Amino acid sequence: MEGGLTIDSGTRGSTGATILRITLGVIILVTWLENLDKGLYTAEGLTSFLDSLFDSENGNGSSLTAYKSFLDAAVIPVAGVYGGFQLVVELLMGVGLLVGGLTRLFSLIAVLFFFNLFLGYFGGQEWIWTYVLLVVTAIAVFVGYGGRRLGVDAWLARTRGDSPYNLLW
Amino acid sequence: MLNGTDSNTSDRPEPHDRVLLRAIAVSRILIGVLWLTSLRWKLPPDFRPNSGRGLREWLDLEVEHAAFELYGDLISSLVIPNFTLFAWLLFVTELSVGLSLLTGTWTRLGALVGLLMSINLGIGLLEVPGEWVWSYLMLAMWHTIFLTGAAGRVWGVDGWLRSRDAASSWQRRLT
Repeated sequence: MEGGLTIDSGTRGSTGATILRITLGVIILVTWLENLDKGLYTAEGLTSFLDSLFDSENGNGSSLTAYKSFLDAAVIPVAGVYGGFQLVVELLMGVGLLVGGLTRLFSLIAVLFFFNLFLGYFGGQEWIWTYVLLVVTAIAVFVGYGGRRLGVDAWLARTRGDSPYNLLW
Repeated sequence: MLNGTDSNTSDRPEPHDRVLLRAIAVSRILIGVLWLTSLRWKLPPDFRPNSGRGLREWLDLEVEHAAFELYGDLISSLVIPNFTLFAWLLFVTELSVGLSLLTGTWTRLGALVGLLMSINLGIGLLEVPGEWVWSYLMLAMWHTIFLTGAAGRVWGVDGWLRSRDAASSWQRRLT
C-alpha cells in the first residue's frame, strides 16, 4: 500500500489515519479549552450557543428549523445536564484520539458529534465545509483504525486482540 | 504493493484496505466539490458574487489582518494592483484542482497544487476575524494524503490511466 495510506494488515493501522487522528485530537482539545473558557458547558452558555445557531440577525442563521425544534424540546430544557455531559465526553474524545486509545469508539462518537454541528450550522453564515471536513476526517480515522499506530490501541490489539465487533479499538 | 508495479493483480488491496481506500476516495470527491463550489463567489469576468464578499474583499481582509507583514505586502503591492490577472489565475487553478480531485485525474498533481493553495489560505486567513484556521490545516492534511496515497486510483480516472499506460513513468508520477 502506498505512502500515507500504508496499512499493516497485521495491526490494521494506517499512517494517514494516524496523522488525521492526532490532528483531530488536538483540534478537539484546543476547542474544548476555548469553550471551557467561554463557559459554553454551563446551562446559560450552552443555551446561548444553541440560540445563536438559529439567530438570523446576530448569529449563524441556520435554516434547519426542524433541528431547532428538536433542540428546543430535548436539549435546552436540560441544558445544564447536557452541558456537563458534553464537557466530559468532548474531553475524553480529545484525549482518546490524541493518545490513540479506544480510537474506534471515540472516532465514531466524533462522527456523530461533528454531524450534529453540521446540522446546527447548515444553511447559515458559517462555512459549512468545516464540518464536512471534520466528519469525513473522523470517518477516516474510524475506518483506518487510526489508533493502531503510535497509539494505545496498538498495545490493546497486541495484548487483547480485536475488541468486540471492532467498536472499541 | 501498488508502488511501481505493472501487475494489476498485485495492485489488489486486502478487503479492509479497500474500505479505507474507498473512504479516502469519497473524501477526495467531496474536497473536489469543495473547490468547485468555492468558485461561485469568484466567477469571471468581475469575480464578484451577487451578494456578500467577493475575492477582492477577501484580499483586502488578508492585507488588513495580515499575520505576516511580508505576506500582506505581497498581496497589497503585487496581487491587488494586478487583480484581474491573479483572479483569473486563481479561478483556473481552483477549477483545475477541483476537477482533478472530483474525477481522480492526475490526482497527485491536483493534490500538490491543492496543498499549496490550502497552505496559502491558512497563512492569509490566519488573523482574519471569524476564520477558523483549523479548517485549512485539515484541508492541507487531506491534500497530503491524496498526494502520498495516490487517491485517484479508486473510483477515479487515474486507475484507468495506470492500467492503460503503465509503462509511462511520468504518468505513474502524476497518478
